[in-house]
Amino acid sequence: MTPVVQVHDVTVAFGGLHALRGVDLDIAPGERLAIIGPNGAGKTTLFNVIAGDIAPTTGAVVIKGRDCTHRPSRHRPRLGLARTYQKARTFSGLTVCENIYLALAGHRGRHRTLWRSAADRRMRQEAAQVAGQVWLSGQLDVVAGELAHGQRRQLELAMAVAAQPDVMLLDEPASGLSRGERERLVELIESLDEQLTLLLIEHDMEVAFRVAQRVIVMADGRQVMAGSPDQVRADPHVHQIYLGTEGA
Amino acid sequence: MKLAFACLVFGLALLPAVATPFFVNFVMTQTLILGLAAATIVFLAKYGGMISLAQLLMVGIAGFMYGNAALDGGARGLNLGWHPWAAAGFAILVTTLVAFVLGAIASRSTGIYFLMLTLVYGVIGYFVFAQIVEISGPGGITSIQRPELLGPPVLLYYAGLLLSVAAYAGFRALGRTAFGLALQGVRDDPVRMASLGFNVPLHRALAFALAGFVAGLAGLLNVWWNGQIDPASISIGPTLILLIIAVIGGISSLKGAWLGAFVYVLVLTYLRDLPLVDRIGLTEARFNTVIGVIVLMIMVLSPEGLTGIVHKIRKQFGETRP
Repeated sequence: MTPVVQVHDVTVAFGGLHALRGVDLDIAPGERLAIIGPNGAGKTTLFNVIAGDIAPTTGAVVIKGRDCTHRPSRHRPRLGLARTYQKARTFSGLTVCENIYLALAGHRGRHRTLWRSAADRRMRQEAAQVAGQVWLSGQLDVVAGELAHGQRRQLELAMAVAAQPDVMLLDEPASGLSRGERERLVELIESLDEQLTLLLIEHDMEVAFRVAQRVIVMADGRQVMAGSPDQVRADPHVHQIYLGTEGA
Repeated sequence: MKLAFACLVFGLALLPAVATPFFVNFVMTQTLILGLAAATIVFLAKYGGMISLAQLLMVGIAGFMYGNAALDGGARGLNLGWHPWAAAGFAILVTTLVAFVLGAIASRSTGIYFLMLTLVYGVIGYFVFAQIVEISGPGGITSIQRPELLGPPVLLYYAGLLLSVAAYAGFRALGRTAFGLALQGVRDDPVRMASLGFNVPLHRALAFALAGFVAGLAGLLNVWWNGQIDPASISIGPTLILLIIAVIGGISSLKGAWLGAFVYVLVLTYLRDLPLVDRIGLTEARFNTVIGVIVLMIMVLSPEGLTGIVHKIRKQFGETRP
């Protein structure tokens, strides 16, 4: 099967700092992949390159057979790609419903209507439905800036889910969540369509290993290991990276 | 809220029957014109997070274009001699197009950089009209007539009222449409908007063009009301005054724009009539000092301007009521 996302030898340099040093990655349709690694390993940079927020210094990104290396992020939703951010980036001045509505509108290219049509009303209904999926039905009219941290993460996820993407990138969805909230998050991810390709950055091993079929370990801008959750869990090298016995 | 708004509009519509012609045709018409122009600053700031210093330039462009197109023979400017309404349409079209282009150029800047860029637009615009005398005079375009339809001064007041109400209601309604919501999304987080599939710079440019269109309408009213326009009227001083009007009213409140304009025009008109002001040295030359002190007091008391003060008072009342 041809991969949905291909990353070829991607390097990202911020001045003299190399955030990524030659990363190769093929992601098969429907695959669930977790990326783990210590802070500064380049996980989020890799996400930003795939999502188009950063253009790589060298290398290429191919999504569904199309070269997207230098296409800006706004072309990604039409290719069926959606992402969340590590720090929830919701629209703080708009309500939960309006946040999700914008996710739908962006995906469908309905940006510039100056009146409220029937299609518009349907999109609001859909937004309410999606809010229900992430247990935010009660907060539809609450302004996002007033949500609790956990709820904002749910909203962040709802905005990615709303467009019904084929490929979803989740950047540390469980960070800052309580145990109960994390449990709900895993439940939610497991309830997503099986066809969905899922890429996940996660510090919480429990979440990462439960959700993923394949785990990639990154350190210092490179992929240092890939394998099934069990393989990665058992690998002494991974322990070393995380516990930092090298050069300490 | 809606009822209060309807009452206010109704009251303003009846005003010419009860107030003096001077108050209606001078104070109130000027208030409506300045309020309409300041409302475009508020619109861009409130929904787009863009503080623009180029809105008075848009007012000026519309005025100059009308003057050049509508006059014929004898007067200054290009003397194209078009029908007044054709000239008005032409003025609005040019203003909107210029706004779109300028908005597109500034569309990748935010915050202080956007402010500086629009300040540069204002300065360049002033020098364009000041130095290319073929389109501005020399020394301004004078004896500009308004269309016959708006002949009596009171009709100009009604035109100002109509456009103000339409702009206020229109901007408010726009905030809930897909375009308006997207603009607010761009304000809150442009990076996220891009990753959701929105063309962020295009949105900013379109919003700027829309604000330019409305400011152009204010420019037409202004040139009809004044009967003349000269480059000094869009120089840096008046440019800042328009921003100050928006700040007095509350930069994130649409109705504040008209409130700020009303306060400004009141001070401008009646300060000299107050008893004893001459004795304490408040001559007309010190008018800007008075405005400055008012702005300072408002900023200290309530960063959200007069609208913020009104909200605070209303809240207090609400709490003390049984």
